[in-house]
Amino acid sequence: MSNIIGIVNYGIAGNIHSVKKAVERAGGKTLVINSPSDFDLVDKLIIPGVGSFKDAMQELENGNFIGPIQEFSKPILGICLGMQILADLGFEFGKTKGLGMIDAEVKPILCDGKIPHMGFNSIKITTPNILLEGVEDKEFYFMHSYEVVNYTDITALTKYNDHSFVSAVHKGNLYGVQFHPEKSREAGIKLLLNFIKL
Amino acid sequence: MTRIIAKLDVKPPYVVKPVHFEGLRKIGSPSELAKKYYDQGADELFYIDIVSSLYQRETLFDQIEEAANELFIPFAAGGGIKSISDFSKMFHIGADKVVINTYAVQEDPSIIDKAAKIFGSQAIVVNIEAKRWNGNWECYTDCGRIQSQKDVLVWASEVEQRGAGEILLQSVDTDGRCRGFDTELASKVVNLVNIPVVVSSGAGSLEDIKTLIEVANPSGVAIASLLHYDRTTIQEIKKYLNNAVMVSQ
Repeated sequence: MSNIIGIVNYGIAGNIHSVKKAVERAGGKTLVINSPSDFDLVDKLIIPGVGSFKDAMQELENGNFIGPIQEFSKPILGICLGMQILADLGFEFGKTKGLGMIDAEVKPILCDGKIPHMGFNSIKITTPNILLEGVEDKEFYFMHSYEVVNYTDITALTKYNDHSFVSAVHKGNLYGVQFHPEKSREAGIKLLLNFIKL
Repeated sequence: MTRIIAKLDVKPPYVVKPVHFEGLRKIGSPSELAKKYYDQGADELFYIDIVSSLYQRETLFDQIEEAANELFIPFAAGGGIKSISDFSKMFHIGADKVVINTYAVQEDPSIIDKAAKIFGSQAIVVNIEAKRWNGNWECYTDCGRIQSQKDVLVWASEVEQRGAGEILLQSVDTDGRCRGFDTELASKVVNLVNIPVVVSSGAGSLEDIKTLIEVANPSGVAIASLLHYDRTTIQEIKKYLNNAVMVSQ
């Protein structure tokens, strides 16, 4: 098996450089996906994400990426906004339809803490899975103002100022993490290695 | 949990240490120091090109890219940012957040709104250089050289409204002196805004950092001199603080 990790390149801010570097550090081979035909060349998919829900969906549409992502049957990892857009609906800068691959909505974080939530936090695994193996007691870097509201596919929760939110999901071939493994030191590299090995 | 951040003030090609934002001392190369503080366990790195704005010099993107290359932690970069394309370029060479001050204060504050809309608030950091004046604080630019007549608290609220995701709060009075932070300033800004505030300028001892966190409870503390002169390490800071306040391991 060739095992090439495709990284979806969309949007003007998409910080694909860091994700690519981190996957390579974990020992993976990468291919940056710039056109719909590139999806056929890869064995797994990472959807990175920096920016707003609305702009991200617009950019995916402009690149004709929506269909190929929805039809991709091999493992997909969504990171931060890349996980959020797997949901049905986003509420950032108005209501926007997401990829609709996970039964969830993306809403502003409501808590007493400073928003955006930025910094290292631990995760509490609620349903163990291969992606999170070996990083159960680790801390990951979060940088977000919105959270995924989901009840069925949660694999980990994180507490910020007494507010618990979804920090990882898993449904079939879909994996999502609210934190940035590419910015979470060795724990993040380990998680990416788990993804490569799936 | 309070983030412990290493701050590199760069006058290409060296990291320098300004005293009162003046009188620069050479410390070392940005990429070597970035790696060193990453290995020590820094939660984040701030890279500020401190002369690009002042001398209208092009920010040295190559050097920033090199410094970012070996880091698997968040990396914020700034200095001389004047346009959306400057922001964009910084993100593309590996910055997770971009820091802006002078242009937003002197020329066009709406660049904050525009950048936040495009790149997301979490990626936009406004650097505030505060100097005490008549019982208040005034915003300075160009590395503590130029007065703006903007009140720090008014400006802090304004940048939050405009969509900044974080404030880097520096004090022109205490910077580089290693005699403690301006904790009164830090408390006022932290209590005023609902976005994270990273406080810098003045750490002279582990005790100073602890006092700042106890008094003002900022989201992060940015350290320069203490680390640059090897007077302590990130590990030592975290170990010391972990007995009293929460920091990540």
